Amino acid sequence: MTGQEKEKRSFRIPSSRFLIPLGSVVLTFAVLILIFVLIGRNPFTAIYSFFQGSGLGLKPSYVKSSNMLTDFLSYLGIMAPMLLGSLAVVVGLRGGLFNIGVSGQMLLSGFLGTILVGYSTLPPVLAMPLIFLIGLASGAVLGGLIGWLKYRFNVHEVVSSIMFNYIVSFLTGYFIKTKYVDPIIRSSKQVLPNARLNVTLVTQAGLKLVIPIGFFIALAMAFLIRFYLDRTAGGFEIRMVGFNREGAAYAGLPIRSVMVKSMVISGALAGLAGVVYYMGYYSTIVPKDLPALGFDAIAVALLGNLGPVSCIFSSALITIFQKGAVYMSSTTGVVREIASLVTGVLLLFSSLGVSVRERTHHYD
Amino acid sequence: MIDRIIIDGLAFALPLFAMAIGGIFSEKSGITMLALEGIQGFGAFCGALVFAYLSPLVAGGPRVIVYPVILAAMLGGMLFSLLHAFMSIRFRVNQVVSGVVVNILAMSLTIFLTGLVNEGLTGEASNKIWLGAAPRFNVPGLSSIPVLGAVFREVYIFSPFIIVFAVISVVLLYRTRFGLRLRACGENPQSVEAAGVSVKQTRYIALMLCGLLTGLGGMNFAYTFSANFSPTIYMGYGYLAIAALICGNWDIRNTFLTCLIFGFARSGGYQLILKLGMSSDLSDLFLMIPYVLTLLLLLFFSRHNHPPSALGADYEYDRR
Repeated sequence: MTGQEKEKRSFRIPSSRFLIPLGSVVLTFAVLILIFVLIGRNPFTAIYSFFQGSGLGLKPSYVKSSNMLTDFLSYLGIMAPMLLGSLAVVVGLRGGLFNIGVSGQMLLSGFLGTILVGYSTLPPVLAMPLIFLIGLASGAVLGGLIGWLKYRFNVHEVVSSIMFNYIVSFLTGYFIKTKYVDPIIRSSKQVLPNARLNVTLVTQAGLKLVIPIGFFIALAMAFLIRFYLDRTAGGFEIRMVGFNREGAAYAGLPIRSVMVKSMVISGALAGLAGVVYYMGYYSTIVPKDLPALGFDAIAVALLGNLGPVSCIFSSALITIFQKGAVYMSSTTGVVREIASLVTGVLLLFSSLGVSVRERTHHYD
Repeated sequence: MIDRIIIDGLAFALPLFAMAIGGIFSEKSGITMLALEGIQGFGAFCGALVFAYLSPLVAGGPRVIVYPVILAAMLGGMLFSLLHAFMSIRFRVNQVVSGVVVNILAMSLTIFLTGLVNEGLTGEASNKIWLGAAPRFNVPGLSSIPVLGAVFREVYIFSPFIIVFAVISVVLLYRTRFGLRLRACGENPQSVEAAGVSVKQTRYIALMLCGLLTGLGGMNFAYTFSANFSPTIYMGYGYLAIAALICGNWDIRNTFLTCLIFGFARSGGYQLILKLGMSSDLSDLFLMIPYVLTLLLLLFFSRHNHPPSALGADYEYDRR
C-alpha cells in the first residue's frame, strides 16, 4: 500500500463509521413517519410525543410533584440498564460470542438482589454496594456457565442462553409466586426504600427528584470497558479471538478460556443491568416475565457499532422510543408496541449497516 | 393415561418436527438458522389473520377454513425466511445476528399488527386473535387397536400434512440430485459452484422450503396449544426445534426420534403431575422440563456430532 492510498483509507473509515449508523437512524425515522401516515396520525406530533414522554420536550401539563426534569431523570433511570445490557452484548460479540441471554441474566440477578438484600433493613451505604456485588457475581456465574458449556461441551451459546432464559424465568417465577408474592399487584413484594438504587431529593417546591445511581455506574462502565478492550492485554485477547479464532489459536492464545472470560464479563455486565433495572427503575419483579430490554440491548449494541462509548448515544436514542412510548400512546392512541417495532426496524438497518461497513473495509 | 401421553406427546412432537425439518434444510445448505422462532411466529400470524377475515365469510366452520389458513401460514413463514436469506446471502450479514434480527422483528411486527387488526375488527386493541378449538379426527379402524391405536386417535388436522411433508423431505434431501447439491452447499460450496450450480440459488430455495415447513409448525402450535394467536407463541418452540435438530445430528430421521423424546417427556411429565395431584404452582416447574432436557441432551450430543462444514461461513463465489 502506498502512502497516498493509506491516507485515502484513513480518511474513508471514519466517515463510514459515522455515516452508516446515521443512515440507519434516518431510514428508521422514515419508516416511523410512514407507519404513522398509514394509520392516519400526524407523524410529527407523534414523534415529538416520544421526546415529551422522555423529558426532552415540554408536555402541555404535568401532575404535581413532577415536571420535565423528573421525567428526564426517569428517562436516565431506564437508560442505565439499557446501556449496561448493550455493553454486555458488545463484550460478547467482540469476543465472537453472541450473548442473547442478557434478559435471563438480568432476571436472575434482579431476583437474587431482591430476595437477599431487597427486604433487609441494611442502611443504603451498605446495601447499595452489596446489591451491585450480587448483580455482578450472579450475572458472571450464569454468563460463565454458558461460556463453559461452549468450552467443554461445544453447546452453541445462543441455544444454551435461550434455554437458560426460560429456565430462569420459570424458576424465579415459581419462587416469586409461592414465597415473595404481593397478592395485590401479583408480582414480587416491593423492595424496601433503603435498598433501592436511587437517591431521592424533595425540593422546596414539592418536586420529587429521583436520581438514578445506576446511570452513573453505567456511564463509568462504558468508559471502563472501552479502556479494557482497547488498552489492556486481556481486552486485546478478547478482540483477537473475536476477530479471527484460527489466527488467535495460531498465535498461541488459549482461545477457549478467553471465550469463557468474555462471557463472564458479559454476564457480569448483564447482571449489573438486572439489579439496576429491578431495584432502581422498578422495585418489583413480574413473575415469568423476561425483560424485553435484554433484547433491545442487542439493537443498541449493533447501532453503536460495537463501541462501548458509542453505545451511550445509541442507548440514549433507543430509550427515547421505549420510554416515550407510554406518553405517545396516551396522546395519539397508537399501541405502545410500536416502540418495539421501531427498535426492530432500527436493528434491521443497523445490522445491514454493519455488513456494509465490513465490506467497505474489505475492499479498501 | 398412556393414551393421553401418546396423544399429547405426538401433538407436541409433530409441529416441532416440521420446524426442525425446516431448520435442517437451511443448515444443510450452509445457512445458520436461528430465525425459526420468528419465522414460525410470523407464519402463525398470517394464518390467524386469514382465519379472522375468512371465518365470517365462509360457511362450514374451521374444518373448511383450516386449509387456506395452513396455506397462508406456510407462505407467511416463507416470506420471513426469505428476509433471513436476503440478509445472510445477499448482504452477508453475520448469520447468527441476522437470525436474531429476524426473530425480534417478527415478534414486534406481529404484536403491533395484531393490535392494529383487532382495532379494525372488533374496535378493541387486544393482543389476541381467537382461533377456537382446532379440528381433530379419529382414523377409522386403526384407532380401535388397543394401546397403539392412540397414535391414530384425536389427530389434529395438521398432523397428516406434516407426515406427508416429512416423507417428501426425506426423499428430496437424500434421494434426489437437488438434495445432493443442497447438502454439498453446506459442506463445500466451492465444489458446487465448480460443478456449474449456483450456490446462492440453491440456498434461496432451501430457505424457502424451510419457511414453508416452519410456518406450518408455527400455525400448528398457535392453533392447537393456545387456540389463539398471541405473544405466547414466542415460547421458544423455534429454539427447541434447533436443539432437536442438533441432537438429531442434522439428519431428518434421527431428528424425528429426538422430537418424539421431547414430546413424550413433556406429556409424560404433565400426566405425572396430574396423577400425583400436585398444586398448580408446580406447573411452572413442569413447563421447565423441555428446556432442562434440551440442555442435557445438548451436553451429550454437541461434542460428537458433525454440523455441516461450511455452516455459517461467509460465502462469495469469487473468493475462497
